[in-house]
Amino acid sequence: MPDTTAPAPLLRAAAEGDRGAWDRLVETYSPMMWACARAYGLASGDADDAVQAAWLRLLEHITAIHTPEALGRWLLTTTRHEALHIARGNSRVLPAPEPPPPPRPGDDTETADPLAIVLDAERRARVWHAVARLHEPCRSLLRLVATDPDAGTHQIALRLGMPRGSVGPTRSRCLRHLSRLIAAEDPP
Amino acid sequence: MIDEEALLAALRMAAGHDPVPRQVTASARHAYTLRTPGAVTAPRVPIPRTHKHPPHRNSPPRPGPEREPDPASRPRLLRFAAAGLAVDVEITVSDGLLDLAGRLLPNPGPGSRIDIRTPHLTQSRDISPTGHFAATGLPPGWFTVVCHRTGQPPVTTSWTLIRS
Repeated sequence: MPDTTAPAPLLRAAAEGDRGAWDRLVETYSPMMWACARAYGLASGDADDAVQAAWLRLLEHITAIHTPEALGRWLLTTTRHEALHIARGNSRVLPAPEPPPPPRPGDDTETADPLAIVLDAERRARVWHAVARLHEPCRSLLRLVATDPDAGTHQIALRLGMPRGSVGPTRSRCLRHLSRLIAAEDPP
Repeated sequence: MIDEEALLAALRMAAGHDPVPRQVTASARHAYTLRTPGAVTAPRVPIPRTHKHPPHRNSPPRPGPEREPDPASRPRLLRFAAAGLAVDVEITVSDGLLDLAGRLLPNPGPGSRIDIRTPHLTQSRDISPTGHFAATGLPPGWFTVVCHRTGQPPVTTSWTLIRS
């Protein structure tokens, strides 16, 4: 197994039969894939299916990934495709969507690649710390959705004392505020 | 426009309250044992509306009392295609288990066989002279059909999830 955590050599080794390299990819990317699937509101069982689907798609395309360095994005994008499909239809047959296209050169800006914030541990930490600087009810709402992913709209409304119908729009507004706060702090 | 789901995923990872469950990573590790080196993956493709020849079963249905058909148990026909081979698979859910009846077009000929694989079992089947195959009593979940052809790379259908 390559002595590295870089995706390209691990992917090559896994394609050539190195199970240890595959295990290391699983260890590295599964937490992000899980978080992406859950962010679509999937319960544990459905999120499990979305993540497993993405790993199986990788297995099917393991020798055909155009940019192995961008494997993380490929896995997250594939997980999101699968999660979105489950979230929208909860179909009894989960078809194989087309694998995502390879990232284009220059796709490493946050605008072009919203997944960069998921892939980078430092940026994730900055996002979490930035929540403390939001005004209410955003601070409490985002802390709640972050720390209790299974809390439904009804439960959030009760805990924060807001009408049930305003939870979704308020959450969207708060996430926009958070995004602007981070963008203002991020180095250009 | 922001990507709410990406931001939420980043937030939750940083908060650390929803770690990936152990069985999810265990399934992902196990997936590696399911690869078929050198195989061509056949993606799912649309079935023309004029399709009138669903696969017939070459094994009898499992015994059981007659009952009104549950809409959820209506057969579903899927088609996969690659490398000059189409694999039609008709799936019926019965008593929580899956029955598969399939057909290869064209029939790959003598010496060929198929494996019906789930993450935890493989059932090998000979192919009938008309290109048909079948398996019954499979657990719901992920499945693939691998066609081994003489002198050609195997063709494996894209992994597909069937819920009961």
